[in-house]
Amino acid sequence: MGRSPQLLFVDDEERILSALRRSLRREGYELFCANGPSEGLRLVESREVDLVISDQRMPGMSGIEFLARVARVRPAAGRLLLTGWTEEIPPAELARVGVLALVPKPWEDAELKRSLRDALARGGRRD
Amino acid sequence: MSSPSHNLLLLLPRAPESARALRSALSGLAATATIVHESAACLTACRRSEVDAVLVDAELGAACRELLAELRDTGPPVVVVGASIPGERALELFRAGARDCVSLAAPGGSDLAAVLTREFARSRSARSGTDELDLQREKMASIGLLAAGVAHEINNPMGFIHANLFQMAEYVHDLRGLWEQVDVLIKLAGEGAVEAARREARSLAAACEEKDLQFLLSDLAKAIRESQEGSERIRHIVQDLRDFSHLDGAERSLADVNQCIESTARIVWPMMKHRVELVRDYGELPAVWCRPMQLKQVFMNLLVNAYQAIEELAAPRGGVGRIRLETRALPQGVRIRIGDNGPGIPRENLERIFDPFFTTKRVGAGTGLGLSTCYRIIERHGGRIRAENSAAGGAVFEVELPLALEEDGMER
Repeated sequence: MGRSPQLLFVDDEERILSALRRSLRREGYELFCANGPSEGLRLVESREVDLVISDQRMPGMSGIEFLARVARVRPAAGRLLLTGWTEEIPPAELARVGVLALVPKPWEDAELKRSLRDALARGGRRD
Repeated sequence: MSSPSHNLLLLLPRAPESARALRSALSGLAATATIVHESAACLTACRRSEVDAVLVDAELGAACRELLAELRDTGPPVVVVGASIPGERALELFRAGARDCVSLAAPGGSDLAAVLTREFARSRSARSGTDELDLQREKMASIGLLAAGVAHEINNPMGFIHANLFQMAEYVHDLRGLWEQVDVLIKLAGEGAVEAARREARSLAAACEEKDLQFLLSDLAKAIRESQEGSERIRHIVQDLRDFSHLDGAERSLADVNQCIESTARIVWPMMKHRVELVRDYGELPAVWCRPMQLKQVFMNLLVNAYQAIEELAAPRGGVGRIRLETRALPQGVRIRIGDNGPGIPRENLERIFDPFFTTKRVGAGTGLGLSTCYRIIERHGGRIRAENSAAGGAVFEVELPLALEEDGMER
């Protein structure tokens, strides 16, 4: 992959997106942010996104449902779920949608960066 | 609906003599007597309505035993009556759970009336105790929901505040580094070491470039502002939580009903935002003298029920799950309507939906206490709550409240 990895974050909370951008500014990624699932899908369709990280609780559609659609539109993109740990997502669901990892909210800076690096590395080996 | 008369249930054999004998013993007692002939009917009646005491004819040995076994500890008190009950039989009955045994043909007349009066008094105070227990249990359930809602709502602000603090620490670290260089520059300039100062100035300019000072300064301000907004949100949540779990739920005050609904909606919103849209249609309302804590519990119950009804439908009517919150002033009070576009309430359940323990939820998914407690709370406010199905098919719960709740004599 010659270009820098392209990451898409989807969350209905603007300030979360802002904080994520802030944390990852110097990681060498190209960052895209969507304020909701429909905007997210538009970006997935129009950009060669390598990783999609989505919040679980969003108005209109859950993160899992959103990622399932991402899998159909751009199967090569890695999929991660941002979750507050207050809901239980059945592992079967995660497997069905092909979620690579869960990112807890709140997140630790170092762990977030590691999860993203790992997910990108695995992306290179898939299909 | 507290009536001055008590409810007495009599389980008698079909022979008319026993009824006659009892009637005279019971005359003068402020009680409504219902007569049944089978223990099954007796038990059903005890479950359906508030029975203050059960009188069983000692003749009905098997029925008596069955009744005592079923009602023991949990049901209304059972008093066994007979023409003459020998001592050992009485002992047996007491061991089986009878509250008392009365021999109608005792010398000096029976003390049945006295026994019943005593049981009625006990039953009345126990009933208000049960009411309190139900309210307490319902409040605990609400607090459980509240805790889940709070956890959801706090996660986001905590997420970005935590991340921002980390970044701000990095920014401050970078700024310190730059400042150290500024310090050196100041010293050199002060000493008049022009060349050295020039070199230091160039080095500082490069460092500022490398750290992207302009961006750093503006982003630091932005991070602080966003974190402050998050902190405000947490403050509100904690306040809502404090309001809700306030120890004295029975405290009365003037309240803005719109505000009560709004703060409750704020609490449950994070839990349901992925499935429903909340539509607000708040009218201008007069202040209402009420128990705001209890009203908030009612609203929370209705909101969560609406959400759960919508969850049941895989795809709600019109695609999006919608809960409508409508308030209007009435000539002598206020009216609140909470409607959903879920499946609606089956016609046969509409009547029973406020009954205690009536539930359509799966076992373990709800106690069925919720709506009956709501009913009692609204009733105690002198108001009215009812359920109906809207033309579009979903359910609508309508609450009417007077401007001031009236106290009946029994209230604390």
